[in-house]
Amino acid sequence: MDLFLQYFANGIVTGSTYVLVAVGLTLIFGILGVVNFAHGEFYMIGGYAGVFSVSVLHLPILPAIGLVLAAAAVVGLVAEVILYRPMKNRDATSSIISSFGLAVVFQNAALAVMGSQPQRLDLDVSRIPVLSHLPTEFGPVFLPQQRTLLPVAMVLLIALLYLVLRYTWTGLSLRAMAQNTTMARLCGVRVERVAVVTFMVGAALAGIAGMLMSSIFFVYPIVGNMIALKAFTVVILGGMGNVAGAAVAGLLLGVTESLTSAYISNAARDIVGFVFVILVLLFRPQGLFGRSVDRS
Amino acid sequence: MVVSLNDTILMWEIPIMSQLSRRNLLVILGGTLAAPAIVRAQSSDALKIGGMLPLSGAASIEGRQILLGLQFAVEEVNAKGGVLGRKIELVIEDDEGNSTKGVTAVRRLIERDKVPFIVGTYASAVAAAASKISAEYKIPMLSGGSTAAIVTDGNTLGDPWFFRSWPDSNSQGEDTAKAIVQKFKKTKVAIIHDNTNYGVTLAEQVTRVVSASGGAIVSRDGYNAGEQDFSTMLTRIRSLHPEAVYIGGWAGDGANIVRQAAEVGLKAQFVGSGSMISDDFIRLAGPASEGFAVASLYEMSTPNPVGKAFGERFRSRFNQDANTFSSLGFDSTSIGIEAMRRAGKADGQDIQKMLKSGMKDFPIVQGPPGITAAFNDKGSVDFPNFIAIIKDGKRRIDV
Repeated sequence: MDLFLQYFANGIVTGSTYVLVAVGLTLIFGILGVVNFAHGEFYMIGGYAGVFSVSVLHLPILPAIGLVLAAAAVVGLVAEVILYRPMKNRDATSSIISSFGLAVVFQNAALAVMGSQPQRLDLDVSRIPVLSHLPTEFGPVFLPQQRTLLPVAMVLLIALLYLVLRYTWTGLSLRAMAQNTTMARLCGVRVERVAVVTFMVGAALAGIAGMLMSSIFFVYPIVGNMIALKAFTVVILGGMGNVAGAAVAGLLLGVTESLTSAYISNAARDIVGFVFVILVLLFRPQGLFGRSVDRS
Repeated sequence: MVVSLNDTILMWEIPIMSQLSRRNLLVILGGTLAAPAIVRAQSSDALKIGGMLPLSGAASIEGRQILLGLQFAVEEVNAKGGVLGRKIELVIEDDEGNSTKGVTAVRRLIERDKVPFIVGTYASAVAAAASKISAEYKIPMLSGGSTAAIVTDGNTLGDPWFFRSWPDSNSQGEDTAKAIVQKFKKTKVAIIHDNTNYGVTLAEQVTRVVSASGGAIVSRDGYNAGEQDFSTMLTRIRSLHPEAVYIGGWAGDGANIVRQAAEVGLKAQFVGSGSMISDDFIRLAGPASEGFAVASLYEMSTPNPVGKAFGERFRSRFNQDANTFSSLGFDSTSIGIEAMRRAGKADGQDIQKMLKSGMKDFPIVQGPPGITAAFNDKGSVDFPNFIAIIKDGKRRIDV
C-alpha cells in the first residue's frame, strides 16, 4: 500500500506536466482550430529558457519564471504569425503541416545553439522562500521539493486560467471564439488579438512545464517529441477543445503510466496511453468527458 | 570540413607533386635554387595521413575529444623531425556520424589526398561502411573509436584492413558483467536497459555472464531511449533490494536513472555500459554518480607507465586530462605512423602488412602495463578492460 501511494504520487507529478502542456494544446485547438504539432517545442524552449536564466544569468526563481514567460510569449507570437494568421481561411491540413515544419525549425535551432548534449536546470530549492519549508515526506510518500512544485504550479496556473476564462473580458472573448468565430466577430471580438493571446497562453503553460521539468529531468532539442505525443493523447482522451477534460485526462494518464510501469512492465507504459487513445477514438470520439464540440 | 594542421602547404604545388615528387624535382633543379626556397620546399613537402571523425552532429563531443589524440600524435612525431624525412600533415574529414558522408569522406581522403592510411571513425555503422571502401583501395584504417565487434568481424580472417587497438564491445560488456560478481562481490543484480539493439544485447550478455558466475538477476526492465521519468520503476526496484544495478543504454539516460535512483533512495552498486564513460555523464548525474562503475580503456590514473607518461604530456600540452577518447585517437594515429616508418614508404599495402605482424613490440597507452599493438587475425588487440569507479567527480581505476 505504501508503495502504491508512492507510485500514485509519481503519476500525479508527471500527470501535472501533461496537464500543463495539454491544456494549452486544447485551447489552441478549441479556440482557433489549429492542431499544433510544434507544442512540444514550446515545452523545450521553456526548458532552455529556464536553464539559461537560472544557470547562466543566475536569476532567482521569480525573475527566471518571468524570463521563461517572456520567451514563451515571443514563441507564441511567432507561432501565431506563422501557423494561424496566414492560414486561418485555408484547410486545416495547411496549419498542421506548417506546425510540423515549425517544430523541426525549433528543434534544429536548439541543436545549433544549445548542442545535442542534455542540459539540466540546477534549481537550488533551499534558496526559494516558501518551497524550502515544504516537507519532502508525506506519510509513506517521498517527494523532493522540485517534484512537489509541479502539481502545485499546475493547480495554481489552471485555477488562474479558469478565473481568466470565467471572469475577464479576454476570457469571455476566448470562449466566444471557441463557440462561434463569425458570431464572436460580429459581436465585436477582435479575433486577431484573441489568436495571439491564445498562442501566448498555450506557450506560457507549456514553457513553465518545461522549465519545472528540466529541474527534475533533462532538456535537449528533441525532448518535446514525446511530450507532444502525450499531450495529444490527453487532449483526445479529454475531448478536443475541452479544458477541464484535458486537466482530468492528464492526471489520469500520468497515474495510469506510473501504475503500468510499477505493476505490469516499464516497457509497456508508453503503450498503454496510446491503446487508450485508439479505443477512445473508436468508441467515444468526443472524449471520455465528452460533450461533443460542435463547430459551425 | 577540412582541418589542416600544416598550413605551410601551398596549393599550386599539388599538381606538380602528383606527377613528380618534390624531392625529385629538387634533384633535377640541382643546387641552383636559393637556400630559402629549399627550406620552404622541404617543410611544405608534408606526408599526408587521413583522419575521419564526427566533428558535427550527435557524436561531435566524442569526435572532438578523439581528434585531440590524433593531433597530439602528429605533433609529437613532427617535433621529432617527422617520418621518412618528411613532416606529417593530418587531413581531417567530418563524417557527421553518417554512413553516406563517411563513404564520401574515405573516397576523398584516398583519391584527392592520396593518404596511405586513415584513422577513423567513431560511429561503428559508419566505420563498417567506410572500411569496406578503404579495403577495396588497399588502404588500411585504424579505428577512431568504433568498438562494435561487427566491424572487425567484417574483416577477412588473417587479412584485416580495419584495425582496432583495443578489445571489442562484447568483451567490454563481458568484463563489466564479471566485475559485478567478482570485483564488487554483488550477487543480486537488477538490470535496466533501453529498448535499442545496444541495450537489449547488453542486457542479455549481463544476464548470461552474471548467472554463469554465480549471481542472480532479480529484475529486468526496459525503457525507451530518451524516456524521462524513471522514478516509479526505480521505486519498484528498490523494494526488491538488489545489491547491484546494471544500466545498459546511452549516457544521458543513464545519468537520469542514476540521479533519480538517488532521489528515491535506491542504494546499490551502480554499473553502466561503455557509453557512460563520458565526462558529460558525471556532469549530468552530479553527486549521484559517486561510486558508479564503468569499463574503461584509459584513465589518467592508469598503471600502464606508457599511458601515464602520455597522460602527463597530454595535460601539459592541452591543459586537460587525457581520457579514453584522446588515448585511443593517440594510439591509432601513432601506430599508423610507426607502421609507415617501419614499412619504409607511404604505401597502404606495405603499411597493412606491417600492422598485421610487425608491430608486436610497439607499446600502446591504453590498457594494462605491457600491452602492445599486437593485432590478432581479426585486426583487434585484446586485453582486459579497466573497471573505473567515479570518486570525487572523476573516474579512477586505482580504487
